[in-house]
Amino acid sequence: MALTITCPICGKRNGYEFRYGGEEKGPRPDEKDLTPESWCDYVHMNKCVAGVQQEWWFHRDGCGSWFTIFRDTTTNLEKETPEAKE
Amino acid sequence: MMNRFNHLPTLKIDTSEKIPFTFKGKQYYGTKGDTVATALYANGVRIYARSLKYHRPRGFYSMDGECSNTMMEINGVPNVRTETTWLKPGMVIKEQNVKGSAENDLMGFIDKMDWAMPAGFYYDTMHKPAKIWPVAMKQIRKAAGIGKLSPDHHMPGKYDEIFPTCDVCVIGGGPAGMTAALAAAQKGLRVILMEARPWLGGQFDYRTAEYANRQTCHERAVQLAKEVEKTDNIRVFTHTANIGAYNNNLITGFQIGTEKDSFTERYIELRAKSVVVATGCIERPLLFENNERPGVMQAGCALRLANTYGLLPGKTGVFSIGHDLGLEAAVALHDLGMTIPMIADIREDGQDPVLLKAVMDRKIILLKGWVATEAHGRKQVKKVTLKSLDGTAEKTFDCDVLVASAGFTPLTGPLVVNQAKLKYDAHTNFFLPTDLPKKMHAAGRLLGYENGLSIEASGHLAGLKAAYDCENCSIADLGEAKKAMESKPGPARGTKLVMAPVKGRKTFICFDEDTSIKNVKQSIDKGFDVPELIKRFSGAGLGPGQAGIPGHNLPLFTAKYQALPDIKIRPTTVRPPLVPTLIATYAGTNHTMLKRTPIDDLQRKDGGIFRNIGVWQRARYFSKDFTSRKEIENVRNNVGMLDGSTLGKFRIHGPDALNALQRVYVSDLSKIKEGRVKYTAMCNDDGCVIDDGVVIKLGENDYYFSTSTGRAGQTVEWIRYHTRYENWDFSLVNLTDAMGVINLSGPNARKVLEKVVDIDVSNDAFGFSEYKEFKVADTIPVKAMRLGFVGELSYELHVPSSYMKALWLILKEAGKEFKIKNFGVEAQNVLRMEKCHVILGQESEQRTNLLDIGLGFLWSRKKTGYKTVGVAALTQAEKDNSRLKLVGFKMENNGRAPRDGALIVDDRVRGHVCTARDSFSLNEAVGMALVEGDMSKVGTRLAFYEDECNGELIYGTVVETPFYDPAGQRMKM
Ligand SMILES: [Zn+2]
Repeated sequence: MALTITCPICGKRNGYEFRYGGEEKGPRPDEKDLTPESWCDYVHMNKCVAGVQQEWWFHRDGCGSWFTIFRDTTTNLEKETPEAKE
Repeated sequence: MMNRFNHLPTLKIDTSEKIPFTFKGKQYYGTKGDTVATALYANGVRIYARSLKYHRPRGFYSMDGECSNTMMEINGVPNVRTETTWLKPGMVIKEQNVKGSAENDLMGFIDKMDWAMPAGFYYDTMHKPAKIWPVAMKQIRKAAGIGKLSPDHHMPGKYDEIFPTCDVCVIGGGPAGMTAALAAAQKGLRVILMEARPWLGGQFDYRTAEYANRQTCHERAVQLAKEVEKTDNIRVFTHTANIGAYNNNLITGFQIGTEKDSFTERYIELRAKSVVVATGCIERPLLFENNERPGVMQAGCALRLANTYGLLPGKTGVFSIGHDLGLEAAVALHDLGMTIPMIADIREDGQDPVLLKAVMDRKIILLKGWVATEAHGRKQVKKVTLKSLDGTAEKTFDCDVLVASAGFTPLTGPLVVNQAKLKYDAHTNFFLPTDLPKKMHAAGRLLGYENGLSIEASGHLAGLKAAYDCENCSIADLGEAKKAMESKPGPARGTKLVMAPVKGRKTFICFDEDTSIKNVKQSIDKGFDVPELIKRFSGAGLGPGQAGIPGHNLPLFTAKYQALPDIKIRPTTVRPPLVPTLIATYAGTNHTMLKRTPIDDLQRKDGGIFRNIGVWQRARYFSKDFTSRKEIENVRNNVGMLDGSTLGKFRIHGPDALNALQRVYVSDLSKIKEGRVKYTAMCNDDGCVIDDGVVIKLGENDYYFSTSTGRAGQTVEWIRYHTRYENWDFSLVNLTDAMGVINLSGPNARKVLEKVVDIDVSNDAFGFSEYKEFKVADTIPVKAMRLGFVGELSYELHVPSSYMKALWLILKEAGKEFKIKNFGVEAQNVLRMEKCHVILGQESEQRTNLLDIGLGFLWSRKKTGYKTVGVAALTQAEKDNSRLKLVGFKMENNGRAPRDGALIVDDRVRGHVCTARDSFSLNEAVGMALVEGDMSKVGTRLAFYEDECNGELIYGTVVETPFYDPAGQRMKM
């Protein structure tokens, strides 16, 4: 895997060591006033941006933490900030 | 057998050592250092194979496996590239794609049928009318593809993989690559140098022309190689083809092992801070009639046959070339004894004066502005026609070798697969890389440099650029290297000519796919007007040579035919693997990555028959009777012991431990009391049930819980994922491997336990669904739970793994008088099925939710404010009647049980069987199935359809559950 990911605890490591956890969408919505539609959107709807997105990764073969990184989905390269442009 | 030179300085063979091999059933001998292809050449073989479509004879053309011409079957493995495969003693070599032999191929007549098979022939015909296709397909399948592989073929050899690390990776071990590696290494960096051939040196290695100051290229190669080899921080991988280059400088390749290596081939994957690509060039094929007739070969191929392998390619060689290496080869081969009637040089001027003088000194006729137009000879070249480029003058010569080469084509593969763009350069007539990927540099001949000093200067500069990327080189050093580079000759002028002035019916642009110039024209005329489309329509470049032959000729010819301006010329896309790679090499060594329980050896000693279950090896049976009847009956009547160590076991503690559990478990765990066991389940966000297990409160903010075997690996990840926004304070420890589990079950279970523990375990003191901690033999700490998974009085004993052996033996000894016996996973499966206790993954599939499977009672609807995973979806699903439901059924008329997975049908599929067995406890066949809601009522008749049942259905009826001990008294006794 060409991707490398920087774990906040272990540093930059090979992408093989991690598991993808989806786009960053904010915390779980409150149970109150939750409609099936809004719930379904939270769970299943993704932005799938062509560009830099914030996303979750789990350091499975490492420290076992969940954290977010910014990744450019068009180059599959990690970015330091959401605005990072080449 | 041909005579071989044995005194050339460039030789890589040792003629004193003979290597026996079998070809077409007869024994032959090669020489140490031979490739399979050169050994065959030495034995007089000229036709190596027949071509894919037209069955044309094919021979030695290039040297590094750029086409399928010399692919053969070796030791049962088809499509081996004999040009790059060492000859080994005892090899059995066969020709491919022939009816008869390559020499006399009964399918050879097809060559004359080409008029009937224009480009896109298969696309255009045989599908109208539609019913022709199945018939035609069978015939095409027979004729399609090369090489045969038996479906049960077992790949011989050892395949390995390594993931080395380095600062700088240099791809290509020629003069530029070696210089780059040395430059980076001298800056203190760790360098990996990959070279596709078995030795360093690249094009310098086989050339005896002057490099500089009376030193030959070969001598220079040896000098550089020695320097590289004595540099400690350069790790050299020879016989290592680069196959891919990706983002972040991930470089892949594979190495072919020698006799001394522990591997046949090994996959290499590495990540470098910076990469230098110095892969050099291959030759650009010259296009003329019968340009692939055996005897036609490239200049480097002819020269290497002589200089590297000691074989004079033929007695009489005509040359039609477009570059100085062609002149150099002519001079060298002349001096080795080849008669050279004529050299046709495409170039009108620009030849190296030293080479021109050498040619003149030898009285070889050299005609500038001339080119070969046709090779004659049915199976091998016998004669060649040459013409002036304007087509006005013509000459014919007899010969057995025709050295033909239009120019060079840079090997830009590693750059291109890593997203570099290629741009046509009119001066070199190359597609040169532009927009190089970050921290990737190109050097050497692939940039068009021909002069040895320029090649090395560009290597040196690239090596320093790589060092700069690693922050180990100053700008000043870079500037100096740049200046040095600029003082050397720039890129050489390349020849423009792509093809001789001929029609092109038998002029092949792609050898692998038998694509002729005529086919390309046909494709363009049909509207497939860009190389990417022509490639797919005509097949050019789709063969195993990975476009090594047509790669750049196709776009250049296309541009010329359409009279396109240079800017519009675009080569086709190159994709990894850049060199054909064995699947065995990718697969590597097949490690057995399965876990064993702490009492694995005891289970085996007791006759356990093991199966791989998830990440574990588990004892599934304890006799050859796979119904496990004796094991089942012993649990029902006496007492059994099961190794349950694979269960997931976790401890969670801290102020927010309960919050975390409440988030993932559907039950309300705030109510569990110490000393009680709470059975509960986890769902995913769709409400689908993913895990079940028990939770025990050990103390304030301290819980112990179990998960199913299959979920143990993901539980930490799962809980942390669903609490990732909360900043909760809890610690979660996976104890799965640290703790073992023994399941003691059966009516005699208490009698066994009583004998070994220090506390009262009577039903009053230690009742059903309770939890106790005690010691066995005053030493072994046990966490004990009274559960009833198999439907009998049952204790689940959790102990530290190191005590498992001791506890097992103690229980076994104590249980002797009560007829204690092992039982395996299959017996447990039947026992719990009779009780209708589910196993997730067996009674559920991905879409099954908590309610479908009858576990809705676990869900605490009153528990709010925890945002429990799955609850939102369950609330919604509760109103949905269309879902599958888990039911119990028994078979009609004492029939046998259907197989697990059998379908439940009426006029369509209505569900499937989860688990079903002929039950000895009940004396009838029973099972559980997921069926559509309207079929879940007791009394519904179910029809089962099994694989290969030929329409013979079997029948059963939905009944009340559980089947065994419906009142549940036995597990509570
Ligand atoms: Zn980490």
